[in-house]
Amino acid sequence: MSARPLDLAAIGTLVTAFVAGLVVPPDAVQGDLQRIMYVHVPSAWLAYLSFTVTLVASVAYLRVRSLRWDRLAGASAEVGVVFTGLALVTGMIWGKPVWGVWWTWDARLVLTAVMFFVYLGYLALRRSFEDPEVRAHRSAVLGVVAALQIPIVHFSVTWWRGLHQPPTVLRPDNPQIDAPLLFALLMAVTAFTVVFVALVSRRAELTAAEDAARHPDDTDATAGSAITAPIVGGRTT
Amino acid sequence: MSLRRQIATLIRFELRDELRGGEVALVVLPFAVIALLTIPMAVGIDTPLLERIGPGIYWSIVMLFGVLVTQRHSSLAPAAARDMLRLSGVDPAARFAATTLATFILLLGFEVGAGLATVLLYNPSLSSWWWLAALLPLTAAGLAMIGTIGGNLVSGLQTRTSLAPLIVVPIAVPLLLGAAQATEGLRLGAGILRWVLLLAVVDTVLALAGVLTARPLEESAA
Repeated sequence: MSARPLDLAAIGTLVTAFVAGLVVPPDAVQGDLQRIMYVHVPSAWLAYLSFTVTLVASVAYLRVRSLRWDRLAGASAEVGVVFTGLALVTGMIWGKPVWGVWWTWDARLVLTAVMFFVYLGYLALRRSFEDPEVRAHRSAVLGVVAALQIPIVHFSVTWWRGLHQPPTVLRPDNPQIDAPLLFALLMAVTAFTVVFVALVSRRAELTAAEDAARHPDDTDATAGSAITAPIVGGRTT
Repeated sequence: MSLRRQIATLIRFELRDELRGGEVALVVLPFAVIALLTIPMAVGIDTPLLERIGPGIYWSIVMLFGVLVTQRHSSLAPAAARDMLRLSGVDPAARFAATTLATFILLLGFEVGAGLATVLLYNPSLSSWWWLAALLPLTAAGLAMIGTIGGNLVSGLQTRTSLAPLIVVPIAVPLLLGAAQATEGLRLGAGILRWVLLLAVVDTVLALAGVLTARPLEESAA
């Protein structure tokens, strides 16, 4: 499998973001500890993005019944679960020195963990089916129903008023973050997004290859395409 | 046969099956009461503490054991019965509605039974008990819908007994939070209208999702 421009772009932006995260000045209050934000925030962003892509692809599958959408939904959920896990772990590492505990029962933390398990269930469901069509139908339904969680997670800070820091960048008035730190954060978000696109693209291709290997007779042929015109005297009539 | 009659007939079948087997009343409910009985043995017999945490424990029990109610044997139509219903032209949405309503009735009974056990064992004090007339049905309806969708998703799988709770419980968490926060509000004498509205919104969205996805799930069972 050769590297494609997308893979190279993912590596390039990731290296650039890594350097940017190291060279920007530390936070005035938290010092170098704050640099974990450049992994934590983009991971959390990708969690939302990936599960939204899964929702859109699931709806698209239910409308057009093309396995491409199913593979996109599955690939996005798989990558999303990885990044949700990363957001949780980096959040715990960040939370220990700031809050004094690895885990606290803040609403957003709990619901992010719940979201992680919802999509873990989604992936477990996908793995349970051999037939790609059955897998696609059922996981698309779960992809839609599971998406009910996303707005609840997003607005949970407002609803339950927990310990978690409120939005810093996406504030209606103005961002509460210095320009160099904001620049490094936006670089990291961009890099993670490009990595996400590259990973999802590769994973969807892999799923297509797995499906083809398991069901070599399955083609996209329509009913009746196997019937050809009769050949009479070496020519089709 | 009209949609309403289809639903009514299917509910009767499911409830009659349950009445014969008694899975919810004779197995799941006693199991839930055992759980309510053992928790104080684990956390200690601190009566004020138990009075305070009793309602929360009750809702946790309802959610976890409610999954067993939603995945009971009578909710599983055998493949032959499903095929017959499909060939008879029964609307998939009618099947979803019937299983959900049958589960809702059983869950409501389960909630009342477990609730009585909680009152007896934990002696919780609420400022108004009348709100439970809204909270219990709203929670039961949401859990019934999630359970029916989850049951359809895992139908026919050998791993269904372990997979169904993994799918249903995390999705049911908003219901637990809504119900538990509302009860906490009742305990403290605070307003709970927004939690009731949250439960109603979740139920409405689930109802729409259930009806709209009933046909794709039916097709995947073929």
